Amino acid sequence: MPPFAQYVFNGVVTGGILALPAVAFSLLWRLLRFPNFAVSTYLTVGAYVALMLNVGVGARIELAWLGALLATGTVALAVDRITFRPMRARRPFSLAIASIGVAFILENIVRFVWGNDFRSYAVPVTRATSVAGLRIGRDQVLILGVAVVLMALAQLFLLRTRLGIAMRATADNPLLAAVKGVPTERVIGWATLGGGALAGGAGVFLGLDASVDPLMGGGLIISVFAAAILGGIGSAPGALAGALIVGIVEEVGTLLIPPTYKTAIGFTIILAVLLVRPTGLAGARG
Amino acid sequence: MTTMTRRELLKTGTTAGLVLGAPTLISAQSKEPIPIGTLCPLTGAGGSYGPDMQRAVVAVVERINKAGGINGRPVQLFHEDDQTNAEAGVRAARKLIDVNKVVAIVSTWASAVTLAVRPLCVEAKVFVIGVSGADAVTQGDHKGYIARTQPNTNLQGRMYGKFAATKKEWKRIAYMGLQTPYARSFGDAFSGVVKAAGATITDDLIYEDKKPSYRSEVTRVLATNPDLIMLGGYTPDSVVMVKDIYKTGYKGAILAPSFAVNAKFLEGVGPEVAEGVWHMDRAPLFDSPAYKEFLAAVPGGDTGPYAPQAWDQITLVALALAAGRGEVSGTVIKDNLRTVSNPPGTAVYSFAEGAKLLGEGKKVNYEGASGSCDFDQIGDILSAPFIVQQVRKGKSERVMIVNP
Repeated sequence: MPPFAQYVFNGVVTGGILALPAVAFSLLWRLLRFPNFAVSTYLTVGAYVALMLNVGVGARIELAWLGALLATGTVALAVDRITFRPMRARRPFSLAIASIGVAFILENIVRFVWGNDFRSYAVPVTRATSVAGLRIGRDQVLILGVAVVLMALAQLFLLRTRLGIAMRATADNPLLAAVKGVPTERVIGWATLGGGALAGGAGVFLGLDASVDPLMGGGLIISVFAAAILGGIGSAPGALAGALIVGIVEEVGTLLIPPTYKTAIGFTIILAVLLVRPTGLAGARG
Repeated sequence: MTTMTRRELLKTGTTAGLVLGAPTLISAQSKEPIPIGTLCPLTGAGGSYGPDMQRAVVAVVERINKAGGINGRPVQLFHEDDQTNAEAGVRAARKLIDVNKVVAIVSTWASAVTLAVRPLCVEAKVFVIGVSGADAVTQGDHKGYIARTQPNTNLQGRMYGKFAATKKEWKRIAYMGLQTPYARSFGDAFSGVVKAAGATITDDLIYEDKKPSYRSEVTRVLATNPDLIMLGGYTPDSVVMVKDIYKTGYKGAILAPSFAVNAKFLEGVGPEVAEGVWHMDRAPLFDSPAYKEFLAAVPGGDTGPYAPQAWDQITLVALALAAGRGEVSGTVIKDNLRTVSNPPGTAVYSFAEGAKLLGEGKKVNYEGASGSCDFDQIGDILSAPFIVQQVRKGKSERVMIVNP
């Protein structure tokens, strides 16, 4: 029997990475009233931008990461302006389908430019150190730390800044917010930029923790979806908690079922939450 | 003066006519070349192997024709590129069968291509011999028209097991196979051999393709404390897997197929992570006279395990036709393949040697460049030597040969 704690720790790291796109996905859903499935593909975009900067240009991975944040935010904003903005008045279903289309297009652009192979950043692979019987990687700790800091900043921003408050107001009631003078489109623009950046940053983490390939983000969509639903749509702390739970359950679940069926765990969580508590963990406002 | 009766005249005339006419009849037949096709991957994923395979076939045919051809008839080759693509392969095979009327197609590479052209060839009674490894290639009813010189997965698994069993320090062995149709049969054959040699299989896990991380799989397998991890996958997943194994601090050994641990793999994981990884693949028969002749005729043809096989394939086809005593068809080849390749019979190492003995009515047993080329009933080879290599300072170095 392998040490249970190792699975939990691995799950926490996975959850930490998952939390960033989950928060972006959840907040954008609340704000724009449709599930934007392109969010998980923003991870891929971020990972490849960093790859281009890190391997192509030779920038340090920290700089490449910052570049990925900016570039992915910009891509997300451009996608919103080109695709979703003209469709704002449509039913959520049409927008959700459009977002799947966007995801496919982005993924294939990445595939076209960089090819199908697995790639890695130009950073040395380090061996994990053993702490009390747990194998803990340096990258894992770093990733987890930065993810936690980013989440805290996002929450502070939403609660304390004028723009953050405007975002929450728009999310609660877009019409009322607009009447009260909240510049709705600007708010949406900033939220999209921020959400894209979070997802892009997570993509680099995922690339560091595992490897970079065109399907890396798309393959996570079920887990991101599960985390957002579990946490309750529109709640940043909820999405964080949801992501950690999904991450841990997916890892620990491999003790019971073969890893080949890992994806099924995400589906099961979605179904269970929808059946038992459709509003999610933090979903009082659901 | 003797007078001839009409009957006598008729008899003599006919005989004379036959006697006079026969040589022209025979020579008309003997000059007609025997059409044989090659279907190598000159482009696509197999593009680094196909050209050498084709060169090997051409070199053998030059030798056959110089030695007077097959029962007096020269061989004419028709080359097609399968582009390592089943659809292109089918189009090319159609052209070879319908336009060039080939009796055999040699040196197909990808299993997908061989499987795709298989029904066409069986239907047209054209013999196919290639280097495809998937078990399905020789399974099912192909009426004997399909054979291959590449070991099937069961034989591969047993040979990997045979090598692992030579390392006494590998007592606890875990198998991790990529989810493919042959992961199971390979793993079972491997496990059977190492278990019989006294080792324990600590874990046996099939993993999914296209995953950015295999950490949970690795965590599970490492919890069983293996001395050796046997990896059965391709390059992309092996890159991710070996990195994930390295990250955990695992100090044991890793064994994988050489087609996974190739130059691209070394580039993907870097020298530090790759250090010490064992890998093995089917080898040619380095000491055989046929291999020496092959290497002299096809310089540089030793970069992959396939060109020596192509050399043997065309030789076997030619010998099988030679044993057919004048009749030329795919059916003759399939009916005589085992007669010229398997024991009993005098060991021969080239077409010229074999054809001479066959002409004298003797039995021959072709021993090729790639191995002894003995086939079972479904067209699989019975044995093949394997070469074991280990990554040392970023380069693969030959360690040993595992003979059947």
